[in-house]
Amino acid sequence: MKKNDPHPSAEQEELKDGAPAPAAEGAAAKGAAPEKKRKEDPLSEERVRKNEEALKKGDFSEFDDETEAALEQKRRNDRAEADASREPDPEALLEVRHLKKYFVIGKSFTGKPTQYLRAVDDVSFVLKAGQTLGIVGESGCGKTTMGRTVLKLHQPTGGQIFFDGKDIAKYTPRQMRPLRTRIQIIFQDPYSSLPPRSTVGDILSEPVKVHHIVPKSEVRDYVLQVMEHCGLRDYYYERYPHEFSGGQRQRICIARALSVKPQLVVCDEPVSALDVSIQAQIINLLKDLQKSMGFTYLFISHDLSVVKHISDQIGVMYLGSMMEFGDKKSIFSNPLHPYTQALFSAVPNPNPDVKMNRIVLKGDIPSPANPPMGCKFHTRCPHAMEICKHVAPLYKEYEPGHFAACHLYPQE
Amino acid sequence: MSFPEKLKEICKRCGEACKKAWQAVCSFFKGLWEKLAAKFKKNKDGTEEKSHYLSGKEVRAIAKENNRIMRRLEQRKKRKAPESEFVTEMKDPQNILEIEDLHSYFFTDQGVVKAVNGVSFEVPQGSTVGVVGESGCGKSVTSLSVMQLLQGPQGQIYSGSIRFKSLDFKRGADGKPIPIYVRDEKGEIVYDDARDKKGNIRLDKDGHPIKEPRQQRDEYGTKQYEMEEKVFDIAQMPIKEMYRLRGRQIAMIFQEPMTSLNPVFTIGNQLDEVTLLHFPGSSKEDAKKRSIEMLNLVGIAMPERVYKSYPHELSGGMRQRVMISMALAGDPRLIIADEPTTALDVTIQAQILDLLRDLKKRINGSILLITHDLGIIAEMADYVVVMYAGRIIEQGTASEIFHNPMHPYTIGLQKSKPTMDSDSDTLFNIPGNVPNPINMPDYCYFRERCTRCTERCHGEYPRMVQVSPTHKVACHLYDQEGADEKE
Repeated sequence: MKKNDPHPSAEQEELKDGAPAPAAEGAAAKGAAPEKKRKEDPLSEERVRKNEEALKKGDFSEFDDETEAALEQKRRNDRAEADASREPDPEALLEVRHLKKYFVIGKSFTGKPTQYLRAVDDVSFVLKAGQTLGIVGESGCGKTTMGRTVLKLHQPTGGQIFFDGKDIAKYTPRQMRPLRTRIQIIFQDPYSSLPPRSTVGDILSEPVKVHHIVPKSEVRDYVLQVMEHCGLRDYYYERYPHEFSGGQRQRICIARALSVKPQLVVCDEPVSALDVSIQAQIINLLKDLQKSMGFTYLFISHDLSVVKHISDQIGVMYLGSMMEFGDKKSIFSNPLHPYTQALFSAVPNPNPDVKMNRIVLKGDIPSPANPPMGCKFHTRCPHAMEICKHVAPLYKEYEPGHFAACHLYPQE
Repeated sequence: MSFPEKLKEICKRCGEACKKAWQAVCSFFKGLWEKLAAKFKKNKDGTEEKSHYLSGKEVRAIAKENNRIMRRLEQRKKRKAPESEFVTEMKDPQNILEIEDLHSYFFTDQGVVKAVNGVSFEVPQGSTVGVVGESGCGKSVTSLSVMQLLQGPQGQIYSGSIRFKSLDFKRGADGKPIPIYVRDEKGEIVYDDARDKKGNIRLDKDGHPIKEPRQQRDEYGTKQYEMEEKVFDIAQMPIKEMYRLRGRQIAMIFQEPMTSLNPVFTIGNQLDEVTLLHFPGSSKEDAKKRSIEMLNLVGIAMPERVYKSYPHELSGGMRQRVMISMALAGDPRLIIADEPTTALDVTIQAQILDLLRDLKKRINGSILLITHDLGIIAEMADYVVVMYAGRIIEQGTASEIFHNPMHPYTIGLQKSKPTMDSDSDTLFNIPGNVPNPINMPDYCYFRERCTRCTERCHGEYPRMVQVSPTHKVACHLYDQEGADEKE
């Protein structure tokens, strides 16, 4: 980074403002705040017309961001409504449409939510049975929240989640219970996700007993069989988690998830806490299990090379939104979004002779509580244009199965 | 029947019952024993190491022995020693740091953990040396040993030498550093009026202004002193003498910027401290000027603003930049970067690596880069040291290590990392785990996990074999040729 940067980056702007004013979009979301009522309606015909004219001229000096935000919100709702009645893809095991998860971070005196953190904001994708979808993104981009929302560990704020043709977004915990055997999760940190006072046998047989996978008398044999699949020796049955290394513990976590014969496994950064040589063991294990038992994985990771190795499809997330989605081949051979391009070029190459032309992004990821207007990436984008600062780009299919949201490509 | 006979009868019957019960108990215990024995046997047969439990008596004996050694080493660290005891000579004047046969141990109640076990390598002036290895291989302990920051009394440098070519103040007869004064064309010292803290001219008794010589200052306004080069053996240095080197000559960038900044002081306060401590005679204004200059150097856009803010107000990337600027503030000759980007995202990591590369050129320093990511090493390092379980198993230039890796562990490490270019279906994996650091065996530590294990590997630990002038490897596979030639 240079000293005198003509384009102030996100960190600079945030520092200048001190406490940044709430974004116009956020104001639209809260809707019925009393002082807003007295003000002019942002969707009044005159204001919308003015904005459209400005957009046609390409002159953004008098562009009304508040109106645009309200319009964008309306357009989104319309799109979500239009899609809501559509039948789910019969081939898909998991289909997510316009999924939203907002966390309330500010409340008024009466307890009404005034400020939201949009952890997952309008994410859609289709995952077919037996395939692996890799989700990549920086920390704080909402990939873990999305994984947990798909599992209904968080109640989604909006959108639909079709699992095997049924919309589970509105299911109660009781209704979810039978589905729990079919969707499982492997957590990130194998050191804190195993109970320290239970033996491996207890840990693995509990889900089997709870869900009545096999008759009680056969539980032990079944668990031993699962352990063998995951590369665990049978005398580990009576040992405690602290007696194992990180790699072995992650194997126990995997065995626990697999012991109920799930169809979909959400892997939330399963290898990021492990050493390189152990990482390879776990990735191979996951791949072998997929081959032999036909699992579907939703693989969340920040490590691009790992995601590339294991996935069939890849989704790139930034600040809660999907920036690009597509087949592994098309994304790697032809990355459309500037963020994807920068992300790929930032991965260090273990070959000292190859000098890459690296795209180094300026600044940091902005706070998701206060995302920038327009395209969320415009603060760091090397190709940012004037329109990016005001109008959010459309998430559109450019090649079959290859989606992207960027103003560099035709919008209509 | 008389009473005694009756008693006998009962006893007889009783005895039979007793016998049966006894047999039952015996058979039960026999079965249990067999089960246990089978379990134990399995443990022994398996490649997994068997769990090792120590009795209280053994633990106490170990603790007693450890205490004795620890006390001796602690006393040595706290002793007052004349400079002649730890000033030595470099083997090669091109190097800035030479580590030779370093042993750093941790004395625990379970036994001695030989975290660094005979490590030797050099850092040439103006180059980057990368140390790679898995967690627990001793790479961080090596770097902490260089700074003498091992957590005592358990962690100690046991033996070996760490020679560092330092730039030290030339000291006068009174032991104070000799200042450099500004001289005019005739070679005479320029005098200024002495001023007090408020900026007023100080007067003597007769009302004449006091004159003082003008000291030379560098571009940041820091006062200059006469310097000389000295070589210190850090392993022999008492801890008090280390203050000369730490932060001033050798600076360290720690792994987690979140935890290594003090949360209750402002960034400026923490940065100024470096200048105030290491540049004698510098005022608070000088320190602030220098700190802001340093923040500018690492690419922070609003240095005045950051100067006043607290660590929690900054993002991870910004905090790591502050850490780097803090390391640079002492104008060090050697920077130790201990996993500088592990806690950061890929895009921020790229920024920080670019910055480090830039700075190395600008300050003409050397970097000792410690990481577990082979990709970072390939991009940054000129020389690479691969460590495994406390020992160096391979070292050489970056292109030698990456194009012609020789040790099976290095080869496995490279193959097991999925890369962006490769399209292989399954990854190569190194079976097993890193061995237990207590009670290391005599043979090659990698034997259990090695795929190319030979007869000789069951013998003693392999020696370092020189493959090319810069490339060394510790493996019997390459020693064989040498042994044959000798015969």
